[in-house]
Amino acid sequence: MTAAAGILAHNTVVVALGVAAVGFAAGVVGSLCVLRKRALAGDAAAHATLVGVAGAFLATGRRDLATLLAGALVAACAGLGMLVLVRRFTRTRDDAATALVIGVSFGLGITLVSGLPAWGYANSAGLEQFLLGHTAALTARDAWLLAAVAAVAVAAVAAILKEATLVAFDAAFAAATGWPVSGIDYAIVGLVALMVVAGLPAVGAVLVTALVVIPPVAARFWTDRVGTMVVLSGLIGLAAAAVGVAASAARPGLATGPLVVIAAAGAFAVSFLCAPHRGWIARRAEAARGLTVRRGDDEGEAGR
Amino acid sequence: MTSSTLVGDLAFGLGGIHAWAMATAAVIAASCALVGTLLVVRRMSLVGDAISHAVLPGIAVAVLAGGRPGGPLVFLGAVAAAMLTVWLTQGLRAAGGLTEDAGAGVVFTTLFAIGVVLVGLAPPGTHLDAACVLYGELAFLPFDTISIAGQPVPRAFVAGATVLAGLVAAAVATWKLQVFTAFDPAGARMAGIPVAAVTTGLLAATAVATVASFDAVGAVLVVAMLVAPAAAAELLTRRLHRMVVVAMALGAVAACVGYLAAWRLHTSAAGMIAVVLGLEYAAAAALTPDDGLAARLIGRVRLAWRVAREDRLATVWRAEEAGNRAAARPQTPHEAVVVRWLEFTGHLLRDGSSWRLSPAGRREAENVVRSHRLWEAWLGRHADLPLDHLHPPAEWVEHHLGAEMRERLEADMDERAADPHGREIPPEA
Repeated sequence: MTAAAGILAHNTVVVALGVAAVGFAAGVVGSLCVLRKRALAGDAAAHATLVGVAGAFLATGRRDLATLLAGALVAACAGLGMLVLVRRFTRTRDDAATALVIGVSFGLGITLVSGLPAWGYANSAGLEQFLLGHTAALTARDAWLLAAVAAVAVAAVAAILKEATLVAFDAAFAAATGWPVSGIDYAIVGLVALMVVAGLPAVGAVLVTALVVIPPVAARFWTDRVGTMVVLSGLIGLAAAAVGVAASAARPGLATGPLVVIAAAGAFAVSFLCAPHRGWIARRAEAARGLTVRRGDDEGEAGR
Repeated sequence: MTSSTLVGDLAFGLGGIHAWAMATAAVIAASCALVGTLLVVRRMSLVGDAISHAVLPGIAVAVLAGGRPGGPLVFLGAVAAAMLTVWLTQGLRAAGGLTEDAGAGVVFTTLFAIGVVLVGLAPPGTHLDAACVLYGELAFLPFDTISIAGQPVPRAFVAGATVLAGLVAAAVATWKLQVFTAFDPAGARMAGIPVAAVTTGLLAATAVATVASFDAVGAVLVVAMLVAPAAAAELLTRRLHRMVVVAMALGAVAACVGYLAAWRLHTSAAGMIAVVLGLEYAAAAALTPDDGLAARLIGRVRLAWRVAREDRLATVWRAEEAGNRAAARPQTPHEAVVVRWLEFTGHLLRDGSSWRLSPAGRREAENVVRSHRLWEAWLGRHADLPLDHLHPPAEWVEHHLGAEMRERLEADMDERAADPHGREIPPEA
C-alpha cells in the first residue's frame, strides 16, 4: 500500500512539474504576444482545439495524450487559418471574425464530443476533460511530453527574442530595415497555438488563453526590461500552474483550469497593487507626494 | 394525445416538446442576434465574448443566494457581473495602462474561472453544473413549465420571449441614439447624446440576452449566437435596420435547424446551433450577390475567358493582316482549347493546318484590334510614352472599351487610319 501511495505521489509530483513547465513556457511565449498587442490571438486557436481532440480520437480510435494533442494542434492551426481566410476574403471585421471562429469552432467541438458516445464510441469518456482541464488523469509519460513541448517553445522564444522585441516595439522600423515582420508575427502566433495546445490538458480549451495573457501582463508591472519581463512572466506562469495543480489535487472534484487561472489572477492582483513604480499603491503614493503622475497609456510604451 | 400522433410528433420533431424547445431556442437566438448586430457594427464583438463569459459568477452567486435559474435575481446578478467586467477592464486601462484586449483577457478569464469554481461548490439539485455552463440543456427546458391561461408553457420560453420583447422595445425606443452612437460617437457626443449611457445600455442588454440563453446553450456558445448571425447579415445587406431583421431571422432559423439536427444526430443542441450559424455565415460569404466569394470567382473566370477569346480572335486577325497563316495556330494547350471553343461557336473556321475568321469572328476581332490601336494612338498622342511602352496598357484596355468609348477616342484624333506603329486602325464593325 505504501508503495502504491508512493507511486501515486510520485506521479502527482511529476505531473505537477510537467504542468509547471508548460506554465513557464506559456508565460514566456505570452510575453511576446502581449508586447505585440495581440493578447487574444490565442483564444480562437484555443476554442478550436476541441474539434482536433475529438477528430484525432475519431480518426485513430486512440486516447493517448500525444495523439489527442497532435489533433488539437492541427485544429488550432486550422482555426487560425479560417480566421486569416475570413479576414482576407470577406468584409467581416477582425473582432467579429475572431468571435465567429471562437463560437463556431467551439460549437463544432461540443457537437463532436457530445455526440461520440451516442455514435458508438463508448470509450470516448474523458474527452470533455479538455474543456476545463483535469490533471488527475495525466500520467508521468504525459507530463514528460508536456515538458518537452515547453522546452521546445522556450528554446524557440530564446532564438527569436531579439527580432520579436524589435517587431513588437517598432514594426515599421523593423519592416524598413528588412526584417520579415509578418514571418515573425506568424512565428509568435504559431508558438501561442503550440502553448495553447500544451496547456489544454491542465487548463482546458475555455480558459487556456489566460495562461498566455495573465502572467505577462502581471510581469509587465515589475520591469521595463524585455528579458526580465519574459523570465518573470514565465515564473508567474510556473507558480500559477503549480498552485492550481496542487489545489486540484486537494479538491479532486474541481477542474484544474479555473484554479490555475485564479492563482494567476492572484499574482496579477498583487502585481497591479504592489509593484514598485508601476503598481497602483506606488503611483498613489507618488501622486500624493506631488510628483508627476505617470500615465500608463504614454506614447511608445508597447504592450501595456 | 393518441399514440399515433405522439409517434408522428417525435418523428417530425414538430410535436409539443420539440416545438417548445425550438421556440425557446428561436426567441433566445433572436434576442442575441438583435444585441449582437449592434455589437458587431460597433466593433465590440469581443466585448460581447468577454461579457458572455463573465456573467457566470453573477449567475452562480445569485443561484447560491437562492435565486432560481431564469429568475429576476439571476438576471440582476448577471448584469452586475457584466458591469463589473466593463468597469474592471476600463479601470485596468486607466489605472494600470493595460490595452483593452489584455485587460479583457485578464478580467473575463478570471471571472469565468471564479464562476466555474462557484458552480462546483453549488449544492446538488440547484440546476447548475459544469456541463450546463458549457453546453446548456435545451432539450430538458420544455419540461419545466408554468401555467398560462390553463396551458402549461415552458418557463424558459416565457423568460426568453419576455426578454426578446423587452429588447425589441428598447431597441425601437433608442434606435436613433444607437445608430448615431454606433457610426459617429464624436458627433453623437457633440449633439448631446449620453454616449456612455447608450453604451452601458447595450452592454446590459448583452448581459440580459446572455442570461436568457444561459440555461439553453451555456455561457461559452452564446458568442456564436451574438456574432455569427450579425456577421452573416452584414454581408447580405448594408442597411442597419435590415441587418437587424436578417440577423434575427438567421438566428431563429439556425436555432430550429440546429435543434432538429442535434436531435437526429443525438448530440448537443447548443453545439449544433453554433455549427448551423457557422454554415449560415459560410453560405452568406460564398453566395452573396455581387461581392460574395462565388460571385467574385465567377466574375473573375468569365473575365479571364472573355480576355482569352478576344486575344485569340485578335491574334488570328493580325495573322491574316500580315498574311502569315501559321501565326494563327494556337501555341499552347490553353490556346488550343479556346480555339476549339471558337470553332464550335462559329467564330473561327478551320483552314487546312491553320484557322481563319468567320464573318462573326471578324466583326468581333476588328473591334478588339480597333480598341487596341485607338488606345495606342491616344496614349502616343497624350501620354508622351516611348513607342515600346504603348502595347502593354493597350493589351489590357482593349477588353474594356465599348463602342461609345472607341468613338470618342477616334473623334479625339486629327486623322484616323493609323496607330503609332503605322498600322491601319480598322473601322467600327
